[in-house]
Amino acid sequence: MTGRPAVLRGVAAGVLATLLAGCGVLPALPDAIPSDVVPSRPSGFSSPSADGELSPDGFDAVQRMAVRIRNVGCGSLSTGSGFAIDEHTLITNRHVVADSQSLEVSTYDGRDLAVSAASTARLADLAVVRTQDPLPSHPRIAEDDPEQGDEVSVVGYPEGGELTITAGSIVDSTTDPLNENLGEVLVTDAPVEPGSSGSAALDAEGRVIGVVYAKTSDGHSLLVPRSTLQEMLADSGAFTALPPCS
Amino acid sequence: MLAVLLAAALGLGGYLWLTTVRWQADSATWEAEARGYADRVATLRAELEATDAELVSAREQLATATERISDLANEKAQLGDENVASQQYLDYQTQVSEAAGAVATAMDQCVDAQTQLIGYLQDSDAYDQKDLDRFSTEVRKLCKQADAAHEQLQRELQQDQ
Repeated sequence: MTGRPAVLRGVAAGVLATLLAGCGVLPALPDAIPSDVVPSRPSGFSSPSADGELSPDGFDAVQRMAVRIRNVGCGSLSTGSGFAIDEHTLITNRHVVADSQSLEVSTYDGRDLAVSAASTARLADLAVVRTQDPLPSHPRIAEDDPEQGDEVSVVGYPEGGELTITAGSIVDSTTDPLNENLGEVLVTDAPVEPGSSGSAALDAEGRVIGVVYAKTSDGHSLLVPRSTLQEMLADSGAFTALPPCS
Repeated sequence: MLAVLLAAALGLGGYLWLTTVRWQADSATWEAEARGYADRVATLRAELEATDAELVSAREQLATATERISDLANEKAQLGDENVASQQYLDYQTQVSEAAGAVATAMDQCVDAQTQLIGYLQDSDAYDQKDLDRFSTEVRKLCKQADAAHEQLQRELQQDQ
């Protein structure tokens, strides 16, 4: 008679133990609903910044740094191109500004900039023109000369017409066939025309790698390399004041 | 023992009921929240599409405006070139006119002086020979000046060729 209660107690104990063990797998009560689940800033989202990469007027930086130069001579008129290297200085060719009575500089949007001074290099077909009015934009000069095959963009005013960007690549380097420059010059297949002289030649990142100064008979164009430009700019005696025409 | 089991079963049942009710409420709240955000997403999508359309339109207008600015800048440059060329041509014409006027004046003076000299020579006995020689020299000088003015005019004309 003592065996039956013992069995019942064992079963009850087993059920109770099972129930208690089952409590461990019961679902917990839900947490309180947070009042706001919207993150303060979505991950991976970045606001645009006005750090100079944005155009203030819809024109590219390469267009904004180009200028058109009108050389009013003593009974002559010619046009060329140039580009800014700082807020009041632009680079062009010596032959673009030579024999001038006055130089007239205009920007991509047709504004006229007053010229304060001009000087030319003796050992390269380069000239520096200073403006009283600030230039809209200026590019960086590349740290190295380009290699053969590198992309080139030329920004200027061929035939004195509209601002034009042409593309090509560096095809060679050679000694100057015109004997206007000391050292080697670059050859590119980017199309240029008369009036493009003084145009900036830019690499794929928009940095200056040379200055257009001539066109060859086989349709290629010649560039004063940026190394020559920088050497001239670093030499205070490399440029002399431009004499007026007579 | 049965009482304990009953109590445990009731407790368990109560807990499960409470859990179910809480999860149901929680689920309903989340669903409402999700539907609210879904509505917001739909609204934002519509706003984004409208903004995209405005952006496309603004870009097209900007492209048109920049193209027009470039055209105007070019037209202004061409007009400036033409203005300079016209001014230079005007200056040239002025120089030529002045040179032609100088030639005409000098030729007039030369002809007048030569006419006067011829008159003197026709009645040479009435004049001192030295005076005639001096006047003749002055006439030659005047006519040389006329020649020089004529040559200057020729040079001005050759500049245009």
